Amino acid sequence: MKESAIKIENVEFNYGHLKVIDHVSLEIPKGISFGLLGSNGAGKTTSIRLMLGLLKPNKGNIFCLGREPSPANAVNTGYMPQLPSLYNELTVRQNIDFFAHIYGLKNAQQRRKRVDEIIQLVELMPKRDVSVVQLSGGMKQRVSLACAIVHQPPLLFLDEPTVGLDPELRVHFWEYFENLTAAGTTLVISSHTMDDAAHCRQLAFMREGKIIAQGTPAELRAAVGKPDASLEDAFLFFIRHGEVKSNVQ
Amino acid sequence: MFSNMFTIAQRTITQILRDPRTLVLIIIVPLVIASLFGVSIPDKMILNMTLPAMLATLILFFGFLLSGIAFLRERSLGTRERLMASPVSRIDILGGYLLGFLLFAILQTLILFFYSVYVLKVDFRGELWQIILFQILIGILAVSLGIFISAFARNEFQMVQFIPLIIVPQVFVCGLIFPVSQLPDYLQWLAKFLPLTYGIDGIRALMLEGKGLGDIGKEISVLVAYAGGLLILAGISLRRGHSA
Ligand SMILES: Nc1ncnc2c1ncn2[C@@H]1O[C@H](COP(=O)(O)OP(=O)(O)OP(=O)(O)O)[C@@H](O)[C@H]1O
Ligand SMILES: [Mg+2]
Repeated sequence: MKESAIKIENVEFNYGHLKVIDHVSLEIPKGISFGLLGSNGAGKTTSIRLMLGLLKPNKGNIFCLGREPSPANAVNTGYMPQLPSLYNELTVRQNIDFFAHIYGLKNAQQRRKRVDEIIQLVELMPKRDVSVVQLSGGMKQRVSLACAIVHQPPLLFLDEPTVGLDPELRVHFWEYFENLTAAGTTLVISSHTMDDAAHCRQLAFMREGKIIAQGTPAELRAAVGKPDASLEDAFLFFIRHGEVKSNVQ
Repeated sequence: MFSNMFTIAQRTITQILRDPRTLVLIIIVPLVIASLFGVSIPDKMILNMTLPAMLATLILFFGFLLSGIAFLRERSLGTRERLMASPVSRIDILGGYLLGFLLFAILQTLILFFYSVYVLKVDFRGELWQIILFQILIGILAVSLGIFISAFARNEFQMVQFIPLIIVPQVFVCGLIFPVSQLPDYLQWLAKFLPLTYGIDGIRALMLEGKGLGDIGKEISVLVAYAGGLLILAGISLRRGHSA
């Protein structure tokens, strides 16, 4: 069996008295795109923060690429936060260059080459020397993605990467994500659209801090019991049958 | 080894340099304040006597403001979280910020000092380089204080409330307006714990009494200890697993 990229064992996390993650266990194999699906407040962002080590679980264990999340381990991960977290005064190139540098691309020449490649990839060449503050929302989203992937990490966390993108760009992003997994990168993607979900190899449906179902899109659809059930149907099905199903796997 | 620290320092500096309005304000505001101070005290003797303490206070105030707000903004923009998820250490982050903002604090310090000496024609005794070195030490303290406070403030409103709370009492108690020795006992006691007291004592000793850095070892050690302590506490608040 393939070694897993992420292993979460019985994790619980509270914000103050609010239980936000409730006994979650999860194993994400290497080299696939894994979708965390759930409504607002389900705990997707919190789960990603836990996997990155930005938050520490109150109970349970988390292993990323076989180790507990730590700064030493962080070179192997990339993180695109839910909101484009960029330095507004800096240009597109300066932002990407900064993250490339702190993620270990120390050689100036190599870094420059890599940064140019990635700017081309997210199609921002004409805007490369423009301050981020002057970009549209979708463009910022692309810069944010570029900052997360510039160092080509084997494990990538993308928190709602496709929100606010136009349909054309959405297709583009997914083409790119599929190239990444084909090259062996593990992708953890949160989303609340079933359109994204359909692109993922495996899914976990989250609700109120719990994982209510887990499996491939086909498995989850099949669980509904109707021949032409959509992922949307599946999601609603599991919400309604919250307790019954958690062993679908 | 410190390459990440320098990268972060360079980034903070570039950010300000790319924001011309902020840059101009950083340069102009100290000049405006110093000029106002100069013309509000027409008596040259009194100006000579009071200006060193005012310099120390302004360095503290501007350095605190600049670094505090900038460090906080990084939290609200979410870039702090991004940094914390990266391989950089807390030392890199704190050191990077300290170096970056120190550059501007030093710039403001030099502007204030040379403006006072050459335009306001304030007399001073003591060695020029020693005075500037001591002022830079106050600048380090100011930047550390800003980083420390903003590590605890959760948003801009809280930060803005901290400004009067941190700065104003020091103005009243640390000898800028009245000598500490003329204050009520309990304020004198309080003054012992406020870093600006040592900044003002030190700069007066240098500029008014013509003493050297060797004579103000106590003031220097207190300021260094203060800055170091604040940075360590700020570092603790930056632990992974506790960021939000
Ligand atoms: N900093 C915080 N302090 C307190 N509670 C928080 C904090 N951040 C999130 N929460 C709570 O944790 C729960 C899960 O939030 P989380 O951000 O993980 O949801 P999400 O699934 O990412 O939602 P969305 O789709 O809206 O991004 C919510 O109930 C939220 O109110
Ligand atoms: Mg979220």
